[in-house]
Amino acid sequence: MTRREPYDAIVVGSGITGGWAAKELTERGLRTLVLEAGPPVTKDDFVEHVRPYQMKFRGFGDPEVLRRDHPIQRECYACDEMGHKFFVNDHENPYTTPGDAPFRWFRGRQVGGRSITWGRQVYRWSDLDFEANAKDGHGNDWPVRYADIAPWYAHVERFIGVTGAVEGLPQLPDGEFLPPMEMTVVERHARDRILAAFGGERVMTIGRAAVLTRDHNGRKACHYCGPCERGCVTFSYFSSIGATLPAAHRTGRLTLRPNSVVAEVLYDPTGARVRGVRVIDAQTMQDVEFEGRVVFLCASAIESVRLLLNSKNAAFPDGLANSSGTLGKYVMDHHYGSGASGDMPGFLDKRTIGSRPNGIYIARFRNVRRAEKNFLRGYGMQGGSSRAGWGRGGSMPGYGAAFKQSLTDDLGGWRLSASGWGETLPDVRNTITLDPVVKDKWGIPAARLDVRWRENERAMDEDMQTACAEMLEAAGCTNVRTHGSSNPPGHCIHEMGGARMSRTRDEGVVNRWNQAWDVKNLFITDGAAMASSACQNPSITYMAFTARAAAYAVDAMNRGEL
Amino acid sequence: MNRRDLLRAAGATAAISLVPRAAEAAWARIASGYRGTAGLTPAQRALVAGVADVILPRTDTPSATDVGVTEWVDLIVAEYDTDDVRVPFLAGLDALDAQVRAERGRAFGDLDANAQREIVGGLDDAMTLGNRGGRGQAAGSTLTPELQVRAARAAYRRLKGLVIHGYFTSQRVEREVLRVRTSFPTFQGAAEHRPGAAR
Repeated sequence: MTRREPYDAIVVGSGITGGWAAKELTERGLRTLVLEAGPPVTKDDFVEHVRPYQMKFRGFGDPEVLRRDHPIQRECYACDEMGHKFFVNDHENPYTTPGDAPFRWFRGRQVGGRSITWGRQVYRWSDLDFEANAKDGHGNDWPVRYADIAPWYAHVERFIGVTGAVEGLPQLPDGEFLPPMEMTVVERHARDRILAAFGGERVMTIGRAAVLTRDHNGRKACHYCGPCERGCVTFSYFSSIGATLPAAHRTGRLTLRPNSVVAEVLYDPTGARVRGVRVIDAQTMQDVEFEGRVVFLCASAIESVRLLLNSKNAAFPDGLANSSGTLGKYVMDHHYGSGASGDMPGFLDKRTIGSRPNGIYIARFRNVRRAEKNFLRGYGMQGGSSRAGWGRGGSMPGYGAAFKQSLTDDLGGWRLSASGWGETLPDVRNTITLDPVVKDKWGIPAARLDVRWRENERAMDEDMQTACAEMLEAAGCTNVRTHGSSNPPGHCIHEMGGARMSRTRDEGVVNRWNQAWDVKNLFITDGAAMASSACQNPSITYMAFTARAAAYAVDAMNRGEL
Repeated sequence: MNRRDLLRAAGATAAISLVPRAAEAAWARIASGYRGTAGLTPAQRALVAGVADVILPRTDTPSATDVGVTEWVDLIVAEYDTDDVRVPFLAGLDALDAQVRAERGRAFGDLDANAQREIVGGLDDAMTLGNRGGRGQAAGSTLTPELQVRAARAAYRRLKGLVIHGYFTSQRVEREVLRVRTSFPTFQGAAEHRPGAAR
């Protein structure tokens, strides 16, 4: 065991929230240690410009590597022939589930975490979301409202750069946007037709994405090459390694330590404080302790909860900071993927140029103005339109010179599709516990996940299909076909909850400042702190909460309260 | 939004230094004539090459075999497919070969161009009409004539997909035919469509 010099702050995790904690804490004067379980990554590791012919299997994926190292991760679209290196080895990083409750836990352990592979969609929550628990009684009332978070959304947007269009929708507040990306000719047509058909209640807009449409804060604008999930040498989409960690580094107060698997948060019962963390060096397997005045857990929802459960002690026998008994409960993900697709006749004289790293978004329209369906809350829809190009050739009749020419010159018809991203109700039965037997490569007890879709989610999935088909038909599509989703929990990679925020200490793990009720110098600012899931992609909300918590923590330290 | 489509649509200006070493080595082996033991037999290779060039013949642009599609199919069979996919596919190719020899008295590659197009046309019509065929049987088994036909059609359906993917993802076609780009000043959602313009 080696003890290292004390830091002002320790941040566990270097992804979306870890990077924000590092930036805010260092810029506010704290000497900050960021611990990342995985190896370093630089832009030399990015492979977004590798062409199919430069891949052995032309993008199909190396079956031996994927079957051997990534039997679970490979189910994620981004864990492919080139991108699999940004996903964990499933054998080194096991987790368990009940046999009848599959869960997909897609993880990236490297500096930058999943901010390298994320989908980049960013949507503010509204009071429709922050008030939902209180109004329908599922979950606990959030101790914050939109007005508390709005300035921090703006703070985040100004730094990361968000492209989007102003729509004036109360359920999807506008942000401080960079210029929007273009909708396709078909999407513009569909937007107008859907607005007219549904009395303006269903609004299709261009996706709001953390991708630069012009140079911003020293980063270059997007060059529309396509596969963002393999990295970006120009850092044109937001990632911690392209934006927040460099900002933290520039302060001179950042220490970044890769290959540092945090095994335990160390509790000092004499002061009811945490004094630091115990790390297992991923390469030497040696234990190292680091001390800090304040600790931020930003390891992702499941990892942070797992770490708290693994940090139980005499004072907290059921997990650190768990006097409420809610640690590991009310776990959520978005249920997604049900929707419809159709052919859009015409527009054959139009095409797209460039690969747009973004799609369209249909703002939530269910249970917004009135309670209207056989389910609570609602969903947004994401999708897009395209022409198939040569990819249609395998199922298209024909052969010979004319066939070849048509695949080269004609792009095929337009298709328009969309799928729902639905809110999951907070439910005490959806849990993270520790597996009593299984441990990871470093001997740390693995997470056991029991998360299930229930009646409300299933009813919403049905409606996603019906409503989407209605919209596509109203837009003028033909051959409209619905598709249901069989994605299990976790597949959306929006896992949330497990250390929820609450108004009182007996109903949650953290207070309105993401500060543990039981341990005042411990902050949990990743998805674990979420008390509900809304239906919007959650990352920008995590970022806003993290920046807000960091400011609070530093102010409290300066006041001598921490 | 189909994120896989983005991968296919990505551009062509990658520095050669970014070529993954494993892929570079694999393609060098293939170029030197190396073939895995689980790949296509000489008869199957000849059949694949012949059918591929009927589907995508040489015109003012390269043919399927001009850009290495036979080697691509061989690689997929040898190193990508699992047995449950590989075995019926190869059985289907064998069934097609046997059918052609039985009906025409010679191998596909020895037939004249009209006869080759007639055979591929029949297979393509069957695919289009929705007769996707069965999954075939293990190589070496005795197929009834009806099963032979179904196995051959199933193999053709898969082969056509592989041929098209291999062709349009080849370096030469990306550069000379599709003229793929990887960098754009902006995204245009309603550009005029001009056949043959750079992608």
